[in-house]
Amino acid sequence: MRIDYRIDHPVQLQVNFEVEGFTILLGQSGEGKTTLLRAIAGLLPAQGEPFDGLLPQHRAVGYVPQGYALFPHLRAWENVAFALPRGPQRRAQALELLARVRLVEVAEHYPSALSGGQQQRAALARALARKPQLLLLDEPSSALDAATRDEVMAELISEMHEFGLPALAVSHDPHLAALADRVAVMSGRRIVQHGAPDEVLSRPASAAVARLLGHRNLFAARVAGHETNAGVTLLQWEAANGTTLRLPHQPDLIEGQLVQWMIAPTAVRLPSLKPELRRIDNPVTGRVESRLNLRAHFQVTLRCGTERLWVTVLGNLMRHHGLEIGHEITVDLRSNDLLCWPHTG
Amino acid sequence: MSALVDVQAADGLPRARSPALVGAFTLLLIAGPFIALAFATQWSDFHFAPGDTGAIAVSLGYSLIALVLIVAFGTPLAWWLARHSFHGKWVLEAIILLALLTPPLAMGILLTTLFGPYGPVGSLVARTGVELTNSASAFVLAQFYGALPYYVVAARAAFEGVPRELEHISLTLGKSPWQTFWLVSMPLARLGLAAGIALAWVRALGEFGIVLILAYYPQGIPVKLWVNLQDIGLSAVYPLLWVFFLVAMPLPLILGMASRRQRLF
Repeated sequence: MRIDYRIDHPVQLQVNFEVEGFTILLGQSGEGKTTLLRAIAGLLPAQGEPFDGLLPQHRAVGYVPQGYALFPHLRAWENVAFALPRGPQRRAQALELLARVRLVEVAEHYPSALSGGQQQRAALARALARKPQLLLLDEPSSALDAATRDEVMAELISEMHEFGLPALAVSHDPHLAALADRVAVMSGRRIVQHGAPDEVLSRPASAAVARLLGHRNLFAARVAGHETNAGVTLLQWEAANGTTLRLPHQPDLIEGQLVQWMIAPTAVRLPSLKPELRRIDNPVTGRVESRLNLRAHFQVTLRCGTERLWVTVLGNLMRHHGLEIGHEITVDLRSNDLLCWPHTG
Repeated sequence: MSALVDVQAADGLPRARSPALVGAFTLLLIAGPFIALAFATQWSDFHFAPGDTGAIAVSLGYSLIALVLIVAFGTPLAWWLARHSFHGKWVLEAIILLALLTPPLAMGILLTTLFGPYGPVGSLVARTGVELTNSASAFVLAQFYGALPYYVVAARAAFEGVPRELEHISLTLGKSPWQTFWLVSMPLARLGLAAGIALAWVRALGEFGIVLILAYYPQGIPVKLWVNLQDIGLSAVYPLLWVFFLVAMPLPLILGMASRRQRLF
């Protein structure tokens, strides 16, 4: 489903993007993400498709706001039944929807007696009862605690897939991007990138997008020159003791220009144990400053001059390379893994 | 911990004892006049003065009519004030404040000026055969003016307490604004609305100043109390007062309990 909306008030906003399966719209607070959802739901004056000009009660959307807005005076099943037509089947239909989100056992409870995750699923069941063509979710992960967030969200997304409905979720949580079918990134009140999560996460269109996606290794450098014959552009990473970085030729960049570059922590290579494979593009030497144990792997920070380079290291390689705090190591930043954009702001 | 925090409240948390002590004292102050009444009443010679029964019927019947009118006219106004903002809204608020702070006697005079036989509205209405002074209509009118502003203020606060987001969600679930009002706004405002209705009932039933000027007849309980005191004396006041409590109390008590889903016993 294509979303094409223009809003003038309370913020000026123009967006045009495709919602497929579970789509995440990422953007910082204040970008107008909630405003967009409310406009699509018909709760704010706006122009655009779908649903242009319809009153909110005539738009086939299921809107699940932040905090879920369950009716406190109605039991869980009554909340779901709210959108169902009156009749003898009403309660049975509501219970059926609650069963699909595994909430039958709390059907008689008031919302105040439900956990955050249960409230979210009840709100989802209520939105589905309306038989929407599009689901709108505002910050679906914000009220969930960190320990269960990924699990609850993965479950929510699989439920959406089961119902076969397109869903648009807005969030500032880059974690969600990896779980979605499609990602759109909003910056400066417009969509600056959209596509499949792999594509967007691995190739952010700008440093601002990279930051929104939660990328860590974002640094400033200066264009040192081009080696056109070798198909290489050289960057001077001044903050890391003037290290020179080689990346695939970027003809748009001018010598002396300030740029921002990035490498994913998972792309940083540790020295190969086999000498024949020791092809090094960009050796960078740093001292281990901290190690974050995430069970399957470690997040290691290397101090390189005044900058801090994040490296993802598998547990067994930690020991192998003796990555203790204070240990010095030379890692390789492969040219093809470096992303570079002209410096803005 | 000190002995002041060992009292267990309903939620099981320790509570300081001093507010309870001050509260008990305040309650005693409020109860004082009624305790005195219990002692002053001559229970062995408990009887009504002529016309008391009629006054009870007048008060009960017309107050109920006034209450219905107050809710019917006051609720839309309260809703409008709670849900719409516009330039010059303060003028409306000032008008309601004006109605609240005008002394009842003065309000009675103003109403007589407007609705009396020589008043601009009164003389017009009189042509249709309806008298707006010293008549049943005048009695209801007096109570309406006495209690309406209190109801509007309470109901407005009640509607303002309903989260707009819930009303919006109701719209997105396919309900019309009218259905939303009945299914979401009204139930969620019920505590405040019940308090407003109770307040309006008490104000209407006890209205004396406006009634005295605009509708001396038919006599309701407050005016009859005054007449009994003038004509007979205190002995004729106390029995009617007991009956007043008896008829006035149930509605606000039941409303309060029902809206809190609380039981009497």
